[in-house]
Amino acid sequence: MNDTGALALDLAVRAHGLTKRYGDVLAVDGLELELPAGQFFGLLGPNGSGKTTTIHMLSTLVRPSAGSALVAGRDVARDPVAVRASIGLVFQESALDRTLSVAQNLRFAGLLYDLAPAIIEERSRELLELFGLNDKRDRPVGALSGGMRRALDIVRGVIHRPRILFLDEPTIGLDLPNRRRIWRFIERLRASTGMTVLLTTHYLEEADGCDQVAFIKSGKIVQRGTPRALVDALGRHIIEIEAAELERLVASLEARLGPALTEGDVAMFRNAAEDSSALAALQTELAGRVSALRVRRPNLNDVFLWVNSAR
Amino acid sequence: MILRPIYAVIEREVVKMFRQRTRLISAMVRPLIWLFVIGAGFGAVLGRSSGVDYQQFLAPGVLGMTILFGAMLAALTMVYDKESGVMRMLIIAPFAHHWIVVAKTVAAALAGLIQAALLLAILAVLGFLSWKTDYPLLLVGILATALTCAAIGILVAAFSRTLDNFAAVMNFVIFPVFFLSGALYPIANLPLALKAAAMLNPFTYAVDLLKGAMLAPLASGSGSELHVGVDVLVSAGFTLLAVVVASWRFSREEAYEPLIHIFAGKRGG
Repeated sequence: MNDTGALALDLAVRAHGLTKRYGDVLAVDGLELELPAGQFFGLLGPNGSGKTTTIHMLSTLVRPSAGSALVAGRDVARDPVAVRASIGLVFQESALDRTLSVAQNLRFAGLLYDLAPAIIEERSRELLELFGLNDKRDRPVGALSGGMRRALDIVRGVIHRPRILFLDEPTIGLDLPNRRRIWRFIERLRASTGMTVLLTTHYLEEADGCDQVAFIKSGKIVQRGTPRALVDALGRHIIEIEAAELERLVASLEARLGPALTEGDVAMFRNAAEDSSALAALQTELAGRVSALRVRRPNLNDVFLWVNSAR
Repeated sequence: MILRPIYAVIEREVVKMFRQRTRLISAMVRPLIWLFVIGAGFGAVLGRSSGVDYQQFLAPGVLGMTILFGAMLAALTMVYDKESGVMRMLIIAPFAHHWIVVAKTVAAALAGLIQAALLLAILAVLGFLSWKTDYPLLLVGILATALTCAAIGILVAAFSRTLDNFAAVMNFVIFPVFFLSGALYPIANLPLALKAAAMLNPFTYAVDLLKGAMLAPLASGSGSELHVGVDVLVSAGFTLLAVVVASWRFSREEAYEPLIHIFAGKRGG
């Protein structure tokens, strides 16, 4: 789904000045958001940045303190039931009944959406197939692995074919193979249904596959764009330096390489130049003065680090 | 439209009830212990009063007790659903949140009814039911008791965030409701303070119907102590009021917002 094509379609989510205040804390602070239908959108940020509160406001579970949001064309505050009918939500933690079987859970979820048992049966089969869980139909959910349970929770969230799917940290707490598998499932689901997906994650590097991402910090969106554009804007390379007297070295290099970002005992510089001879020169110059020098491509994690450092 | 979601909640409740067989068996054994240990023990001391022996007198009381435990414990699973996270499936579903309270109340009442039916079969075999029993009134009484007990449970559940205080619920809700009701003794003979408490207890009116159905036909002067109309009206009125209050409490943002924070693991995450 490219940007020009998506603009012609209607908006799946439209938030204006969306705010949530808990006492003195502004969990979400005047959020502006427009998601074209069919988009795969990543809301990225560290824990406690307001991602979950945003999702809960968009899914009508938390009432905004100020501002408004239209989801699938309906106002979340005025028409919550209609909004809930067109969205699916996969919570950060499981919503499944561990004592019931996979099939029983999906039947329960489907009936709550007023689906006929035959339709639930058919869609369960289809979705479990898509997620590789078909042989687990009669297993109690408590006996499934964490990765399978997460996958089933997603199946549970889309059994009613929502137009918009919210996924709150779908990969949190899973190991790397399972995280990759969940991303593959989301891809398959998008390919087969074309639904709009808004997901949050604090594993920023995972969000490369999103059409658009936005970085949220202290309840505010601080940067947004396509992952490609954001990474490209950062520079061609990230130069990482480890050294004994890091501070002094960084100070002497900043005039030439621009501001550095220090994380523990690693200093990072952005390098916009494609020219690799300059890098080679730097390497020979610093030989002996640094314990390590690495040059690598930037990723979304770097984008976030630099956005955060720009104070 | 809303019927299928309500049915979903009921189906899940029933499936889970029959899966927990030991709980179901103990729900049948508990009243029999009361009947044959307490009933026989006090029966020996008290002898026959107003035409029925104490064991007979106790039969409608233990039927009420079975419904009380069955319906109340089923209603309290709402708290378990909040804790385990299954409530997430319900609050994100496309209906107003008060329907969750209604569905849970109906499911809990049904759990009480099923256990009442099982116990009635046992009581019939043991000879506590006869052709004299007023069956239409018994049906009304069982329905009223199931709804009243489910309503008490849903009220407690709406105001509880965790099951940690389950022992407190037993001590401060279930036992007082049972003991201060006329299920074990006629309320007419109680000291004034206890009698006042019994009259404020909705369970009293529900059990009064059961006593009217099972005891009154055996001997005049035993059985119900209140008017049937009053019993039905109080039971229905209390059920309605409890569901409204519980719905109001549950639908209030404050009531489920902390719940979402439990889900999220922290504030504003």
